[in-house]
Amino acid sequence: MTLSEDSTFYRVVSSPGGALSTLFLVTVIFVAIFADWLAPYSFEIQNLPMANTPPSAEHWLGTDEFGRDVLSRIIHGARTSLKVSVAAISVSVCVGMFLGAMSGYLGGTFDRIVTAVVDLTWSFPEILIALIFVAIVGAGMYSTMMAIGIAYLAQFTRLTRAQILSLKNETYVEATVSLGARPLHIVFAHLLPNALPPIIVAAMLATGDGIILEATLGFFGLGAQPPIPSWGGMMSNGTAQMFTAPWIIVFPGLMVALSVIAINMLGDSLIRALDIRSQVRTA
Amino acid sequence: MSLLAVDDLSISIGNITLLEGITFSVDKGQVLGIVGESGSGKSLTALTVMGLLPLSRGRIRSGSMVFDGVELTTLPERAYRKLRGSRIAFIAQNPMTSLDPVMSVGDQIDQVLRLHLKMTRKAARLRSIELLSQLRIPEAFEVCKLYPHQLSGGMKQRIVIAMALAADPDLIIADEPTTALDVTVQAQIIELLVQLVRQRDMALMLITHDMGVIAHACDQVVVLYAGRVAESNETGAIFRHQSHPYTEALIRCIPRAGMAPGSLKGIPGSVPSVAAYKSGCRFHPRCPIATDVCRTETPQIRTTADGGYVACHFTAGVQE
Amino acid sequence: MTQLLPTPLVSLTALNRTFSGGKRLLGKPRTMNAVSDVTLQIERGSVTGVVGESGCGKSTLARLALRLIEPTSGSVVFDGVDIRSLSPKTMRQMRRRMQMVFQDPYSAIDPRYRLQDALLEPFRLQGIKLTKLEAKAKVEELLPMVGLRPELARSFPHQLSGGQKQRACIARALALQPEFLVLDEPTASLDVSIQAQIIGLLERLKAELGLTYLFISHDLSLVRYFSDKIVVMYLGRVVELLPEPSALPRHPYTKALLDSTFEPDPKLRRTVTPAVGEIPSAFDLPQGCAYASRCPFAQDRCRIERPELEPRPEGSLRNVVGNIPLHAHPVACHFPLPLTSS
Repeated sequence: MTLSEDSTFYRVVSSPGGALSTLFLVTVIFVAIFADWLAPYSFEIQNLPMANTPPSAEHWLGTDEFGRDVLSRIIHGARTSLKVSVAAISVSVCVGMFLGAMSGYLGGTFDRIVTAVVDLTWSFPEILIALIFVAIVGAGMYSTMMAIGIAYLAQFTRLTRAQILSLKNETYVEATVSLGARPLHIVFAHLLPNALPPIIVAAMLATGDGIILEATLGFFGLGAQPPIPSWGGMMSNGTAQMFTAPWIIVFPGLMVALSVIAINMLGDSLIRALDIRSQVRTA
Repeated sequence: MSLLAVDDLSISIGNITLLEGITFSVDKGQVLGIVGESGSGKSLTALTVMGLLPLSRGRIRSGSMVFDGVELTTLPERAYRKLRGSRIAFIAQNPMTSLDPVMSVGDQIDQVLRLHLKMTRKAARLRSIELLSQLRIPEAFEVCKLYPHQLSGGMKQRIVIAMALAADPDLIIADEPTTALDVTVQAQIIELLVQLVRQRDMALMLITHDMGVIAHACDQVVVLYAGRVAESNETGAIFRHQSHPYTEALIRCIPRAGMAPGSLKGIPGSVPSVAAYKSGCRFHPRCPIATDVCRTETPQIRTTADGGYVACHFTAGVQE
Repeated sequence: MTQLLPTPLVSLTALNRTFSGGKRLLGKPRTMNAVSDVTLQIERGSVTGVVGESGCGKSTLARLALRLIEPTSGSVVFDGVDIRSLSPKTMRQMRRRMQMVFQDPYSAIDPRYRLQDALLEPFRLQGIKLTKLEAKAKVEELLPMVGLRPELARSFPHQLSGGQKQRACIARALALQPEFLVLDEPTASLDVSIQAQIIGLLERLKAELGLTYLFISHDLSLVRYFSDKIVVMYLGRVVELLPEPSALPRHPYTKALLDSTFEPDPKLRRTVTPAVGEIPSAFDLPQGCAYASRCPFAQDRCRIERPELEPRPEGSLRNVVGNIPLHAHPVACHFPLPLTSS
């Protein structure tokens, strides 16, 4: 593969922030995928005599109250966090783009209904929507996924609709209609591809938020259920030993913070690389 | 002595020379037309005279600009700021973007008067109304209270002109002031500008790409091509006889009554970008009479038989 | 032997289009008559010019003629077929035969499409399958036809100049070999030198491909150069139909448009331009002649009674310049200018 100098990827990684955050995130993704091989210990086998050991050569990040290796649990927790947030935001983006494109392009009653529902959900914080959803459906990894997906649906519907509304007045849309194009062709071949850059950036930033939301739900015990490790769940367990064994809560917390910072930095360098500052801000 | 005399001016941005050897002058009560296609350097010339070159990181390489006895090329920014708006005014191409959308048009004209002439609020408003009436705006008192979006394009351009006139400048630079307007409105605005120049004894630099506008409004013409002067002369003389093939081609781009079908040809190709300037005469790739000498040697500016200046190797009737 | 009247390629009959908009806070929304009662025949192989200021409805008329917007009433017959009666599917197929070139070449091609993809899109839309070789041949045929180098096929719109973009748009419009081309101010956003190039190109293409044009512009001198007959529009209505470009104007508005053009000749310099003001809003039109507010000859009758578009046989019976029978030169004015004027 040749890397052209004006490709978006090249422009992202040529900035220090972009390069650093890309490196960090690629490492996290790699670790999450190969967690089974990389983790030095099992994430679930308890070893009570070794409970609450501070970081050492044997257990780099110490052990938790059941004597499980914190590093191994963080590595497996990365898998949970990424799986939940990426899957949730992907679903959210796909459904939101479809709804937004249809309501922006078709207008009329469909648009009015979609806009009303979106405005209604938009007026609640994402965390509240997610909490309500989990409260109804019950805790667990899959319901966390759906909860986050629904919480961000309004944002992507709204963003896509705004993009489509401004793009559909471009002359090339009318020109393509005059060549005999169907509405679906206009939406999928012209409007959505042109609306994509700001949506990609928003999705990136939302994935960061998704990790926080997943951790928050996990912290409340509403996320992935034990023994499956999640960063939020680990932090929740750590609160009891916060002063005696701070490593249990600090390291997962650090991972959440670093991942979110990295994603936001990458998002910012993407905004610069795609040169779409104005579009993202106004949407 | 001319009000503004620009002599052998060269402008560059970085290492690239954008304007080279620009020479022209304009007197009080006169309209000078600067004509050429997009990319010929017309707007940059206007920017330079306005002293706004640093905004686009440009630099004056050589030459001089003397405005009413003052050398502008070395004038400090502080002194330039005093000239701008009060003695040299600017009318931009698009009236839609030169007005503040959240301020009534009357207030916007008042602002210029109060800033430059230190007028009181009341005096400024009276003067604004007077200005608008001079620009043939009916019910000027009412119009003052309106906001830009309530006005038509032609009306907005009149407001911009009123703002330019407010401080009673000696020189007005108008950069394609009618390009965004309908033909009927264009005729009215051009007519108005020319009348104002005559009545107030001002000088007007009118920048356009349309030889029709030049024919109807200007006393003197400078034809620019790719950053150089192709030809300059008095309007009558230039339309009687074109010494540069580019001037001739520009005139032939305008349809006129009784033209046979198929006779409108345009100029083949387009103005080269700065990076693609060729050696020799820059017009040679598009010129119908170019020969080898045009490709290698840059033509020097020479005097023509009818008192103008031309930069072309082959011009009939040119005397050394 | 009886002479056969040529059947027009396109005929518009009593076309109306109203837009609602500019809602008031209370009361019913205002309506604007963008196009009112326009009847027009477009003969095969001819150029019909439509001229008027911005807001006169000429762009709406262009879109009505291609059914890009639906008329409120009236009919559009294309080659004997009333295109308003066509199903969406047959209409899409019909679009092959009628195309449009837009005013703004800068946004008329999707910025993400390479030139070759934009040129091949029409075939894809019409379900015409092309092999790779055929597609390449098509692109290499279309680009030189409009005076573009075939090497430009892989470039994106932003890499082209305004003139090149407009040529590309013309190539795209011609891809499906249409018979009828609507040109909506195709040169309004270009330099005069490029305008002349494009007009020259359109003339050549018309001769080579036997096209029929509906040419829309605000520049009467350009329309007079390019058209076989001229429709003058004012606030949605046809106010005069000049059967020949050289016909003398009889409507005061046409005269004002003519007087506003700048010919490149300082000898024709005017000292006084008629102070005709500007086109008023198309909302809340007066009941009489819409031009009365700007007309130097307006009388009381003009403000009360709207003049119909019809031949006005005052003065001599023939238009002195073009030797045109008067019935072919209708004008909507109670007091048309005499034919011997100017």
